[in-house]
Amino acid sequence: MKQDPILERAEKLMKPGEISSSGFLGNDNRKLVDILLDDGQTVASLNLSHEILADRMEELTEKAREYLGSPVLVDGYLEVTIQDSRGNIACPFQHMGMYPKENVHVLNVKTGESIQWTSLNIHMIREHGFYEGKGSPFRVDPLDLVRVLGIMA
Amino acid sequence: MLSEVLRTVSIVSGISVFLAGLLTLAEKFLLNYGTCRININNARQIEVKGGNSLLRSLMQSDIFIPSACGGRGSCGLCKVKVLEGGGMVLPTEIPYLTEEELKGNIRLSCQVKVREDIAIEIPEELFNIREYTATVEKIIDLTHDIKTLYLKFNDGDELSFKAGQYVQIKVPRYGKVRDEVYRAYSIASSPRNRKEIQLIIRRVPQGICTTYIFDYLKEGDKIVLNGAYGEFYLRDTDREIVCIAGGSGLAPIKSILHQMHEEGINRKATFFFGCVSKRDLYYVDEMKVFESLIPNFRFIPALSGPKEEDNWTGETGLITEVVDRYITDGSNMEAYLCGSPGMIDACIRVLRSKGMPEDRIYYDKF
Repeated sequence: MKQDPILERAEKLMKPGEISSSGFLGNDNRKLVDILLDDGQTVASLNLSHEILADRMEELTEKAREYLGSPVLVDGYLEVTIQDSRGNIACPFQHMGMYPKENVHVLNVKTGESIQWTSLNIHMIREHGFYEGKGSPFRVDPLDLVRVLGIMA
Repeated sequence: MLSEVLRTVSIVSGISVFLAGLLTLAEKFLLNYGTCRININNARQIEVKGGNSLLRSLMQSDIFIPSACGGRGSCGLCKVKVLEGGGMVLPTEIPYLTEEELKGNIRLSCQVKVREDIAIEIPEELFNIREYTATVEKIIDLTHDIKTLYLKFNDGDELSFKAGQYVQIKVPRYGKVRDEVYRAYSIASSPRNRKEIQLIIRRVPQGICTTYIFDYLKEGDKIVLNGAYGEFYLRDTDREIVCIAGGSGLAPIKSILHQMHEEGINRKATFFFGCVSKRDLYYVDEMKVFESLIPNFRFIPALSGPKEEDNWTGETGLITEVVDRYITDGSNMEAYLCGSPGMIDACIRVLRSKGMPEDRIYYDKF
């Protein structure tokens, strides 16, 4: 599908070395618009929305922030840890504001599976439906996210 | 019907991209703004080639405005007061400016284009900031994700700084990084040693600067930096001092401790250093040395999640809990905090609850 100039500009900023060293697209060769459409369809097929997923991620992130880098067990099965780094990062969609460089790691202690995200991931999922390209170090695959966090429709 | 709409959207989008490209090319190759004058603080005037950003134009004249993102408009640090010229405030600046700043003609210098004569106001101390070239003398691993760099200034150059201040490292183009970027790091060494400085740097996963430092930079390499910046330094009072840090936030506190030792400042001081487990802890021996050198200084490391194999017998719990246990009355103390925004905000709440006035809590938020 043809993508508009805004997405074209965002895709350019997602290349390695523009905003982060490895970029946001990994080895995904699809156009940004197609990545957005595919992940959007995946989320819709689960009867979920980007907002529901972002809300849950935000809730766990908030909990982890209270523990200043120490692991915290949430709902009896999710061990959540936050790691802060110096600085902030901008949104490649050129959305206003900056996002702290925080890595949130979630381990499902029942299954042993884990997933990680950043504050910017939460924003990009909520506002843009963007989970990053396949192979990107910070891709939050919606299927993995739903499975590890145990999110139900 | 749908294909008709899509085709129209594609045509309009295509025309927009073409026109935007044309405008960019026209600006680059056809427009010549000639020489523009920048009047600074009504005291000095510099002449620059028109068309560049104010930040870059000043930098080319050896006037360095703090900027962590290298002029991409993403850090919001490079604020200056523009008295004349500079055009309208751009939408890219607005998120970083408060109502008051907008009313006071504060602008992001990386977004202001010098296309005409312009008058600005900047703090006088910025005239003392210079660019330096240094050689990486040593790189030492302090923990699994923290390194320390020892930098020696070239050609006998010296950097004058206050303990607690920071410098900005220029990261050159490397790998797939196409633009130079700047990142700020606190100086960890003694302000008396002006020929060399020490920085403590924690790896940011996929971070442009720390990837360069951790994976590309080698001992013997040259590095460009500018500084020193910042208002985080020891105040000249007689009050008891509380320092709190986490991770690489130890850096400016260590510099302050060097200052206290060298200047014979014997005020009662306690440094609370918070880590998760023993593998995150570093410079414990150095802090013990400071305890022996500074008569009233005490170092209290605390682990929030010690592992069994750590055999940790020291303080445990979140750093806020430890501070809460140790301080009963903070009303006559002052505090110096360095770490993540979450940690600093939580510590400020604890210190305030102990009666410490907010204007005596100084911090350097990551």
